[in-house]
This record gives sequence, C-alpha cells and structure tokens, in this order.
Amino acid sequence: MTESELTLLSKHVHDARKPLNRISMQAELVKMALNGDVPTERAVEALDKIIASTKACSDSLTTMMTELSDSQPE
Amino acid sequence: MLTVLLVDDDPEFTDVACTIIEFLGHEVLTAANLAEARDWLNKETFDHVLLDFMLPDGSGAHLFDELDALPKRPRVTLITGHPSVKGIIKGLCGPNIDYLVKPIQREEIEAVLSGKKEQKKDKSGPKIKRHFGHLIGESTPMKELYKLIERVSRTSANVMLLGESGVGKEVVAAAIHAASDVEGPYIATNCGAFSKELIGSELFGHEKGAFTGAVGRKAGVFEQSENGTLFLDEITEMPIDMQPNLLRVLENKVVIRVGGTKTIPVSCRVVSATNRSMEEIAESKVLREDIYFRLAVFPITIPPLRDRKEDIPLLAMYFIEELNKENGTQFEWDQTQLDTLKAYDWPGNVRELRHFVHRAAIMSDPDTSDLELPKTIESPFAKKQSTTPALQAGRTIEDVEKELIYATLEKVNGNKTLAAEMLGISTKTLYNRLHAYGDLNKEE
Ligand SMILES: Nc1ncnc2c1ncn2[C@@H]1O[C@H](COP(=O)(O)OP(=O)(O)OP(=O)(O)O)[C@@H](O)[C@H]1O
Ligand SMILES: [Mg+2]
Repeated sequence: MTESELTLLSKHVHDARKPLNRISMQAELVKMALNGDVPTERAVEALDKIIASTKACSDSLTTMMTELSDSQPE
Repeated sequence: MLTVLLVDDDPEFTDVACTIIEFLGHEVLTAANLAEARDWLNKETFDHVLLDFMLPDGSGAHLFDELDALPKRPRVTLITGHPSVKGIIKGLCGPNIDYLVKPIQREEIEAVLSGKKEQKKDKSGPKIKRHFGHLIGESTPMKELYKLIERVSRTSANVMLLGESGVGKEVVAAAIHAASDVEGPYIATNCGAFSKELIGSELFGHEKGAFTGAVGRKAGVFEQSENGTLFLDEITEMPIDMQPNLLRVLENKVVIRVGGTKTIPVSCRVVSATNRSMEEIAESKVLREDIYFRLAVFPITIPPLRDRKEDIPLLAMYFIEELNKENGTQFEWDQTQLDTLKAYDWPGNVRELRHFVHRAAIMSDPDTSDLELPKTIESPFAKKQSTTPALQAGRTIEDVEKELIYATLEKVNGNKTLAAEMLGISTKTLYNRLHAYGDLNKEE
C-alpha cells in the first residue's frame, strides 16, 4: 500500500469510528431507559439514532472502497 | 457534585454524555471547540474537564497551559478516538493524566469522574512496589534502608546486616545482590547449620579424600559465588575455632580447598547477617573483632517492624495477594482489621506477620472475601512481655530467650516446627539454640 492510500484509509477509518462511538453512547442511553433512569422516549430516539449511525458507518465504508479502487492504477 | 466541562465536537456524543453525567449527579457544560472551551474556563470554575484530543480548531493539548494557569486546576481526562493516540498523549502530558478511548462506556465515565479509575487499574496490576525486586515498605526507615542499599551496591564493600529475627535480613541480602548488577550468582549459606567438621568444606570446598566421606571434590561457597554475592547467614553462630580460617580468606582474598594446595581467587561481596545486636556481639565474643571489621565494612541495621508500623498494612495486603494468587481466593482486608494488625507490636517481625496472615487465610471461608482474624494475636513473645516477671532487670537476654523457647516447646508438645513458627524464628535457628543449650542429639 502506498503512503497516499494509507492516508486515505486512515481518514475513512476515522470517519467510520464516529458513528460507532455514537452507537455505543446511544446504547448506554437505551440501557438507562430500560432501567428507568431516563424516560422511555429517550430510548426510542436513541434506537433511531443507532439505526442512522449504522447507515452512516456503512456509507463511509462504501465511500472508502470506492475511493481506494479509484486510486488504483489501471 | 462536580462541575464538569465536556469539550467535544460531536454534538450527538456530547448530548448523550451529558445525559449520563447529569444522571450521575454532576453539573455539565459543553464546548464544541477550543475557543468555546476557553470562554467557559474564563467564566466558570470546573472540577473536571473531559477533553477531546482532536478538535476542529486544534488539539486539546493546547488548553494545558491555560488549565495550569487557573487558580484551581481542574482534573483533566483526555478523550481520544484512536487507541494509538494513548501513547502519544502519555508522552505529551505525563503519566498523571487519565484518558478515555472511544467508544466510551458509561462505567468508564463514572470511573474517571469518581477518581476510581486508578484503583481499578491497580487491582489487576502489581500495586505494591517491591524495591530492588524484593523489599516491601514505604515507611521512612525503609526508605532510608533503600538509600543505603543503593549506595553500598555501587561499591564492593562487605555488608553486615543486623536486626531482630524476622525483620528481613535474608530479603535485604537478596536485594543488595539485585541492586549490585553483578555478573556472578547469589549464593546463600547458613553458618549455624553445619557441624564444625563440615563448615570448612561448605565455605572453602574440599579435594577428593580430604576427610572421611569426601568422595568427590567440591567447590565451596566462596568459589561458587565468583563475581557475585555470598550471603553468610547467622554469622555469629559460626564455630569460633573456624573463624581464623574465614579471616584468612577475607584478608588474602584467596581460598584453598580443604585438603588442597591450589589458591583460588575470591571475587565476591560478602553479605553476612546476625540477629544479635552490635553490643551483644562486642560483649559475647561470638565473633572475633578482626572478622567483624572485615565483614562489617558497611553495617546495616534493619529496623524492627514495630518501628515502621505504616508498613504493616502494606505487607499484610501483599501477603494476602500472594495467597490469593496461589489459592485462587479473593480475600480482602477491611480497614479495621488492618488497624488491628497495625496496633500490634509483632515481636517476631515480618515473619510473624506473614505466618499470621497465612493462618487467617486458612481459617477463613474461601468462598467469601472476608478474612477472619483470631480474637487475639497470640504470640509467646507478647505473653512473656506482659504477664510473667521474666523480664526483670539483670537477667540476660540468653536466659530469657531460653526460657521462652522451652515454654513454647512445652506448649506445642515438643513440635519444633510449630514452636519455631510460634516464636517467629526459622527452624534452623531453633535447632541452633537447642544445640547451644546442649539439648539436641547429633542426629537431630
Ligand atoms: N520488606 C519485606 N518485604 C517483603 N517480605 C519481607 C520483608 N521483610 C521480610 N519479609 C518476609 O518475612 C519473612 C522473614 O524474613 P527473613 O527470613 O529475611 O528474616 P530474617 O531477618 O532473615 O530472620 P532470621 O533472623 O530469623 O533469619 C520472609 O518470608 C520474608 O520474605
Ligand atoms: Mg534469616
């Protein structure tokens, strides 16, 4: 792998981490809601956001693949 | 309740983190970049700052100088999205900073805010420092001792260790060897454990046929510890008529095997030990003066445990950790128990404490973490001290010691191992004493 590819890759990995971090935080919130620590509505919101984040994560992986294959010499 | 500043540029993350922090009973304000964070720091006083390492207008580390300049510096926990950044942060900010690696769990936030993170870390790792790989204790007298060990380890001077039974003379000898960074091995022998006939061969070695029973040739301990450390334990128990031979070796720095003629160079540091005091050594003539000065170029007195009581809880915790590891148990002291141990005088010193901890562990239910202490810490030493008039002025230490040893033996029906344990001395020492009283047969 060339250096520019590595830079590209690490940028995308960074982008993919962001939704993962969000998912884990939202999951904590769901746990708290199940415990009765926060209102149930927060859990519903949190689950919606988790779903959104998984899409975001998947999207950034797709973008990464596209950009990486674009950067390959023919 | 703490006032917390959360600096992170991901609004979704800060939103949930705030909910968690508020639920934990703290007040929390947020900033999405360095500029906003600076603003808050000017307006408010914070107890704790949770700081993202990568912010849109620069690294979180830029805030460090400003945080240092505050009248009340908040605690800082860095948040990073990448595990490898951890090492860089450590190098940048020193080891005294906490950090959280995303994805973060609620328990982790809870732990850093309550300051419990360190304790948790410690539990898994070795929390109790072993100085020079051997010695436990953080009291002032022990720190003094570490200084002495360090100094002497840089020289090749012979060291004599003085101290009551069980204070750790053997451990200190090993520590000196470890600190010395020498090539040769650490060899230990007990001068009180050999008959007059055998001690010469043990120390200096023998040639084949040197005496009846000398079937092969044997290297003595001086020879074995070439370029290393020779520990001569219970040096004052060495037969007096053997001492001139020892003196010759120490003076000439060569050794000749029993029955041999060839001189072999001696290149080790000699660490010797005795549980007699300097005055006693001077008065009792158990050790020739010329030998004393050769061996005690650097005398070190190890203080009794009662003079460094801060070390008692530390040692007790260490011993129980060791036993836990060995037996797969989970025993833990509670504070009152440690206070009880601390209040006691431990006449048998660290050895007595170690055996006591061992007994407590045996008596306790292995399925719980609670340790059971016997109602009283029974020691024949303590009893002697408090109840019988044995300690009248004018009686010699030898007398009192002898009486004590016999009283203890009587109590355990002559079981010497048990008696030695109760007395807080090694079985070897007990045998030596009994020998000296003329109370043991040869074969014992
Ligand atoms: N500072 C210490 N840290 C850890 N363990 C210690 C320390 N001091 C003593 N011990 C432990 O206590 C016990 C007794 O120590 P040691 O055998 O060195 O005593 P000693 O002074 O040589 O006694 P004696 O004069 O009876 O031979 C050993 O099990 C040793 O490991
Ligand atoms: Mg010893």
